[in-house]
Amino acid sequence: MTLSGLRLLVQHAAFAMLMYGGRFGIRLGPALPCFACPYVAGCGGGCYLMALQGPFFGLGMPWAAATGVWLWRAVGYLLFFVLLVALFGKLWCGWICPFGTLSDWLGLVRRKLRIRESALSPRGTTRFGWIKYVLLAMLVVLPPFVAAGWLPQDFSLAFCNICPGKSLLPLFAGETKYLGIDFTNHVTTVFSTVLVVVTAVVVVGSFFKDRFFCMVCPLLALMHILKPVTFSRLRKEPDRCTGCGTCRRVCPMEVEDVYTEKIGNDVQAGACIGCQTCVGSCAGDGALKTTYFGKSVLVSSRKRAAQAIRRWFW
Amino acid sequence: MSTHTNSPTMSRQDAVRKRAEREHGAMLDELRTRADYLSEYEYFMERLTETPAQLAQRVAMTLVASLCIQAPLEIFHALGLFSYRISCASLVLGLAAAPALPTLACPLLRSCLGMLANQPDSAIFQQWLIPTTCDWVVKFPEMARLAGLAEPDDIYWLELPHLKDAAASQGRWGAEVKRLVRHLEKRTGRRLGARSLERSMEIYQDAWRVFTSLIERRREGAVPAVWFILMANALYRDCPKGWAEAVERVIPRLLTPNDRGKRVFLAGSPVFYPNYKIPSLLEEAGLRVTADDLCSSERIIPGAVHYRDPSLDGLVEALAERYHQGCLCPTFADNERRLGSILSQRESFDGVVFQVLKGCHPYDLESFVLEKAMKEHGIRFIRIETDYAAEDRQNILTRLEAFRASL
Repeated sequence: MTLSGLRLLVQHAAFAMLMYGGRFGIRLGPALPCFACPYVAGCGGGCYLMALQGPFFGLGMPWAAATGVWLWRAVGYLLFFVLLVALFGKLWCGWICPFGTLSDWLGLVRRKLRIRESALSPRGTTRFGWIKYVLLAMLVVLPPFVAAGWLPQDFSLAFCNICPGKSLLPLFAGETKYLGIDFTNHVTTVFSTVLVVVTAVVVVGSFFKDRFFCMVCPLLALMHILKPVTFSRLRKEPDRCTGCGTCRRVCPMEVEDVYTEKIGNDVQAGACIGCQTCVGSCAGDGALKTTYFGKSVLVSSRKRAAQAIRRWFW
Repeated sequence: MSTHTNSPTMSRQDAVRKRAEREHGAMLDELRTRADYLSEYEYFMERLTETPAQLAQRVAMTLVASLCIQAPLEIFHALGLFSYRISCASLVLGLAAAPALPTLACPLLRSCLGMLANQPDSAIFQQWLIPTTCDWVVKFPEMARLAGLAEPDDIYWLELPHLKDAAASQGRWGAEVKRLVRHLEKRTGRRLGARSLERSMEIYQDAWRVFTSLIERRREGAVPAVWFILMANALYRDCPKGWAEAVERVIPRLLTPNDRGKRVFLAGSPVFYPNYKIPSLLEEAGLRVTADDLCSSERIIPGAVHYRDPSLDGLVEALAERYHQGCLCPTFADNERRLGSILSQRESFDGVVFQVLKGCHPYDLESFVLEKAMKEHGIRFIRIETDYAAEDRQNILTRLEAFRASL
């Protein structure tokens, strides 16, 4: 099986498990490092961003509760999240995230129709990369304000209220209510309107640009901050690189760092989603490798690159 | 295109042709009497001795004569054209063209001009496609004029940016390849479609996949240098599918030797039929070539062209990028990544043999750059400067034997 075939299999198995796992008793907890949306009825796990900003055991926790068992639960979820990130790194994004898989489906439709992918000049991921850090800051800063009563309760889970995962993923469970305007009050009206607009932009954007939303995903930003504690690394042997540009061309995030690096060794960029496409398609023997606990688990080779061609439909 | 037609020229051409035929015959005899000869190699020998007219008839395509390796083959293929790489390493034909050219003219291009001037059906080429690589290639039409060869109606210059890493150069090259597409569409009256281009890319990728299997066997020491280069040379004289099938027939018949001996990486100027002096001398000296980065051998096709965007523009851009940035031609200004092609094969060889054709200035200069880099990495290196004449054989053999002893 080729690497892309394996990824395809894992992505769809993960999609099924995270979207419908709860119906079969699978509950992986609310601290997963991927967009497994808790708004999906019967989901198999929840995205950590909700837990992080949540009013129960996240940053939105009332001050009174912040000293008891709730605090320990919050710390427990944080540690569980860090452990999952440490164990699998950005494989969560490229191989497991259901929203990422949905985005890949839209890209596949575009490819089947042979519509040109939009090129964001000069490199979109670099240009818009700062947005994900702004969103991350927002979901860290706002919840305490809500908990302190300085903002109305409708601001709790502020990021979830504008997250396209909330509007799109429940559709796969037959739930359409998050895709409409909530006129309960001014705040909900604004949030739900923003969500509809964001959803439309993300759907259209994902059709014309691979992994469009990942460019601004705050979870990706959070995971990159945790990079020093992860056990997996994307490494490059610059001496073995012929500079053919394949790594940059096949990268769904258009990351340039792997290609441009001529001295260093650790080349996992902030925008990298860990899909391993660059390693699988690099024809330089040993030029790129993924290591786990310092051991090579995937090494680029001419042979692998030759086998991968034409099956690169994902 | 036509050559002079007066009778003294004709008789001179006849004499040259006869001498060239004898040279080819001697080469073929030498190949057929080798201990490692396989009947499967005949296919490749036939391809290399075929005239352009015979080739055009067999593949049922219009030939476009091209120099170097930067014009994407897949584009020609998808438009029903055959990119015929002008390549000839005949001493006889080179000498025939020599009197009109500078003394230190590149032996390869001298020989190519001799071939075009003396081959009866050279007029089949209605177009020359010339990428602006080295000075000799750029001056090819002028050299052709000096050698008494009339140029074809259409000389198409493919302007090659000599910086690979600069974004502006990459953009210019992408635009240049798109201009080539438009030019070929105009000439053929056909439209290049995404599906037909992708199909052509798949055909070449299949050929590369087979070639990779052959390269794997070569790393094991199972493919003698002469036969490997002969097979690679033949790709530019054959449709990729037929070529790949022929290579697939050879692979199971190759035997991995028990003793791999001293293994070398062959770098430098290209080696073309019918002059396999350096590879055969390497064999004679007991050196086994397990890897190379010659544009006439392992680099004859650029390799895997992976892409995410299968729209026509996406495919053309992927091809342009692969043929430009993946190219290790010494004419590039920022070619330091060339070292990677050698070091990535570090486990497959014990030393590097760099051959420079006299007059091939870019490789000549690069040999010094590489020698320094190889020594820094603790890799043994030898530089051989030669041409197509046989006089220096013994001298080179002695040096190679000494090099072998040092490994």
